[in-house]
Amino acid sequence: MNRKARGVLRPVLLICFTVSALFGQDYSQRGFLETRFTLYPREAPNDRAHSVVEGLFRYEGFYKAAGSLQINGAVDVRLDSHHQGDRQLDFSWWDRQQKRPLVAVRRLSGHYHTGGLSIEVGKQFIRWGKADIINPTDRFAPRDFLTVIDNDFLGITAARVTYERGSETIDAVWSPNITTSRIPLPDQRWVVVPGTLPNNVVFRDGGALYPASGHGGLRWNHVGVLEFSASYYQGFNHLPSFESALSFNGNNVVVDLQSFYPRMKMAGMDAAIPLRWFGIKAEAGYFASSDPRADDYGQYVLQLERHVGEWTFVGGYAGEWVATDGTLTVDFAPDRGFSKTMLGSARYVIDTNRSISVETAIRQNADGGWVRAEYSQIFGQHWRATANFSIIRGEPTDFLGQYHRNSHGVLILRYSF
Amino acid sequence: MLLVIGFLNPVLAQDARQIVEETQKRTRSGSQHYEGTLQVVDGNARITEKRWGFDRVGSHGDSKSIIRFTAPAEVKGVALLIVNHADKASDQWMWTPATARERRIALQDRSTRFFGTDFSFEDLEERDNNQFDYKLLGEESITGAAAWKIEARPKQTKRSQYTHSHLWIRKDNYVVVQIENYKQTEMVRRAKYSDVRQVQGFWTAHTTEMEDIRRRSRTILKLDKLQYNVPMKDSDFTLQALRRES
Repeated sequence: MNRKARGVLRPVLLICFTVSALFGQDYSQRGFLETRFTLYPREAPNDRAHSVVEGLFRYEGFYKAAGSLQINGAVDVRLDSHHQGDRQLDFSWWDRQQKRPLVAVRRLSGHYHTGGLSIEVGKQFIRWGKADIINPTDRFAPRDFLTVIDNDFLGITAARVTYERGSETIDAVWSPNITTSRIPLPDQRWVVVPGTLPNNVVFRDGGALYPASGHGGLRWNHVGVLEFSASYYQGFNHLPSFESALSFNGNNVVVDLQSFYPRMKMAGMDAAIPLRWFGIKAEAGYFASSDPRADDYGQYVLQLERHVGEWTFVGGYAGEWVATDGTLTVDFAPDRGFSKTMLGSARYVIDTNRSISVETAIRQNADGGWVRAEYSQIFGQHWRATANFSIIRGEPTDFLGQYHRNSHGVLILRYSF
Repeated sequence: MLLVIGFLNPVLAQDARQIVEETQKRTRSGSQHYEGTLQVVDGNARITEKRWGFDRVGSHGDSKSIIRFTAPAEVKGVALLIVNHADKASDQWMWTPATARERRIALQDRSTRFFGTDFSFEDLEERDNNQFDYKLLGEESITGAAAWKIEARPKQTKRSQYTHSHLWIRKDNYVVVQIENYKQTEMVRRAKYSDVRQVQGFWTAHTTEMEDIRRRSRTILKLDKLQYNVPMKDSDFTLQALRRES
């Protein structure tokens, strides 16, 4: 660990454990220190690195301020060898930097509950939907897509009011400012540069145009023999589209790319249906935009799942239909990139400490596919080692296929506390 | 936790049901709290330790429970909500902090092991004795104490992974000291209850050893800080409450 990392981690650890000691029994904590080594056997045209080493320290604390009031907090400290993260000590709240921040407030919220009413205000995680692999209705869950296949959720700043009575729950969410998904860095392998472009075409980052207003949504959930929900969202896509502007600089053609986040309305539903031999989960959303540049489209997921002994099987299909084509075709949309796709996963628990799993996604036209095999083992009370290998194949024109140079192996060592 | 209880022969069955009803009556409390330490011993005698906190409100057939793991570190925060019903199988949801969402445990998945322990999800239910038919098989001495041996069969077999169970209930204090669970003729799990002590007037086994016969592994659950009739609110046993991590 280098001097900068130690310099950041020491005060963070000191604060965390001091808080823990001060608040005693009303305070609980957890977290981990993780080291991740990624190896890419193939070189990418815009990224000659074959290996990346990352370190992540995550600390989460929960303080019961009163019987009905709880304060939740979490902080991430990251460093990596591949400049995926910022190396300036700037605290991040909105997660709008291109790079991962050195120190990020992952969560900071107050949660109050009385009877069936719960109110949470602040930075938090909000998950909608029931499917496991793709969630069309999960509109308040932006992600860090720096490495597209291995992504992680980002918290959003919002007020969430939930009222639960018997088997019915109403969930209302409003956020003053959208947290957008973090997209791959332009000078790294998860941004695929078209190989057919002439040498004199230069791409330039034109920045991002963030929405000025807030977003919100409403969800009704019923729990019974069948579980189902209906949801409505009004706001913006947390995944960007791109507007381009051409200019000439000598013999070079300069393309300025500016990202923006189209307005979006979503009406969705999801359901979980337990049957005798397997469970069915279904989720669908219809997306409309007042922005003519964006598509109006629908997306759905249908999955079956079953546990047999130590095996867990999930298999399904994600589909999509476009109602109205938008005028813009350049966007970064992993959610749509995984549609028209067969999805599956299988997990086997070898024993209390060891498991293996396989996940796969194969496009219906066979233009792209991804498969990941993983082995994970716990050592004692605190350590876990995980090794996985992802193979990506396909055509350069396919969302998955374009990453065919990015098959990779990952070794992860995690100390949890 | 885990009350399994039947009758075929009218005369003996009446006796068996009375015994089980007395057992249930003697364990009826408004709520329960304990901190559990689990030692999972696999087929190669490797030991893994886990800890959870257990809260229950209500009793037999009308109770709700939440189990929250506190150790090992990486499963800290994982929680299971169980809503028991008098006339049907329980509803169960599991919360995993890493995905920030709860997942319903489907009925057909209840035979799977609960988070690497030898308890299945079904074993964690608290069932009402009316869900079973009983038959008195005889009397035996077990761990030095005289006990009734009773067969329990679920009234609707589809609700249970087990076709039937054998229970041993001590005659002196009506405490269940052993349960053998069967699939047809094969015994698949055996629970032994020991270290029986009285807490607030309730005879309680402070140690439960659950053995998975097929896997040759066992989990020893030891109860600590056990309390009955602790003030608890129904609203702390809902899906919203499950999401409130602590």
